Amino acid sequence: MENPTVSSPLLAVENLSKRFGRRVAVDNVSFELARGQILGLLGPNGSGKSTILRMLVGYLRPTGGSVRIAGYDVVDQGRLARTQIGYVPEDVPLYEALQVDEFLTLMAGLKGLPKSEFASALERVCEKLNLNAVRKLAIRTLSRGFRQRVAFAQALLTEPPLIILDEPTNGLDPRQIIECRELLLSFAGVHSVIVTSHILGEIEKVANQVAILLDGRLLSVETLDRTSAVPADLESRFLELTERL
Amino acid sequence: MNGLGPLLRKELAAIFWSPVAYAVIAMFIVLMSYTFCAQLFHSRSASSAPMLFQAASLLILTIPLLTMRQFAEERRNGTLELLLSTPIDDLAIVLAKFLATMSVIAVMLILLLAFPLVLGAFSTPDWGPIASGYTGLVLLAGALTSIGLAVSTVTSNQLVAAVLTLGLFLLLWMAEVLGVFFRSPVDEIAIAISLDTRFTPFATGAVYLSDFGFFLTIGLIGVLLSVAGLSRR
Repeated sequence: MENPTVSSPLLAVENLSKRFGRRVAVDNVSFELARGQILGLLGPNGSGKSTILRMLVGYLRPTGGSVRIAGYDVVDQGRLARTQIGYVPEDVPLYEALQVDEFLTLMAGLKGLPKSEFASALERVCEKLNLNAVRKLAIRTLSRGFRQRVAFAQALLTEPPLIILDEPTNGLDPRQIIECRELLLSFAGVHSVIVTSHILGEIEKVANQVAILLDGRLLSVETLDRTSAVPADLESRFLELTERL
Repeated sequence: MNGLGPLLRKELAAIFWSPVAYAVIAMFIVLMSYTFCAQLFHSRSASSAPMLFQAASLLILTIPLLTMRQFAEERRNGTLELLLSTPIDDLAIVLAKFLATMSVIAVMLILLLAFPLVLGAFSTPDWGPIASGYTGLVLLAGALTSIGLAVSTVTSNQLVAAVLTLGLFLLLWMAEVLGVFFRSPVDEIAIAISLDTRFTPFATGAVYLSDFGFFLTIGLIGVLLSVAGLSRR
């Protein structure tokens, strides 16, 4: 078994492909993500963003190529690779009948957290996500914003090095989008994050790197320097890349 | 096994919070009571075999209602994606759902004990066939549940899962009838895989190791197919 090293990239995606029958959903995509960085996957609907994430978390099996998370191959060492991630799927599917506390306890158990650490982990994530007021409420009674926070909370339970978020701002109101953005920025340096969006402005505000996808192909990986007085014109670059095809 | 404990607790809570479980248990007991009384008054004999066959038939009709939602609902709601992103074993997910479903069936079979006890109160039934029949019902239920779960992994539509499962159960139950239309060795295979053929000895007090092994094998195949259907596509 390979030992992950701190110097290697946390995530290494190499020639990743996925076919559904004759349709190519992801075509030979390669990129890396360093520890503490935020990578935005940007592309129109149907460009393969969610399919890539589903292969990273082990829900879909790649047709070709490889994914290594902290040195663990997601196919051959799937269980170990999945201990390294926290995942928030699109549309935040949760167990509606459970209370927030029950759901987080279940997820803590499934993620292999020792029982003695459940209480402190729940305290920590509920504090961070401002969930204390709703901990005893059934998830089905919560607003979209609170459901999103619960989904974030489960992803953070084990403090995984890699957080994977699929369209996290979908369906949120402007205030919730700002809160979500601030939360994402608070991850920088602590967790590595992959976040997808089809909204260019959202990615631009949080990511260090942007991978631009179209029709399952990776067109470019751009580095953003948000400290610069003149930020990179991502919009022009996106249009240039996508119109070229 | 990694993750089995918390998942089993969640599945038990989910299945016993669902009205479906109680509706299935109630329907099973009402129909069993009706047919038990009708048979008893008609034959005036303390034979347990008709009751055991009736219970087996009702298990074939009711188990699809219990297994249809297990994976189909998770897939439709998207929670399967969340579940499979955690470091639990696929086998643990299948076993948790299998054990939760079997727990509802266990309640049904425990309530079913009332009927032999009634026979015992008013006559002297042969307890051997009753014990072997119960063993057969548990084995049959285990095999049917694992097949039902396997079907549930391949669709996100609960109704489709239920219809396919019921069709498969009926085919397997009546497989021996198909044997009439074929020559050897197909007819022998049809008889060998018939659930009816395999269950009959249990209901009549004869326990063969081969029938025991058959139900365990079917159960194991169902669990493995469920894991295969569930696993990353």
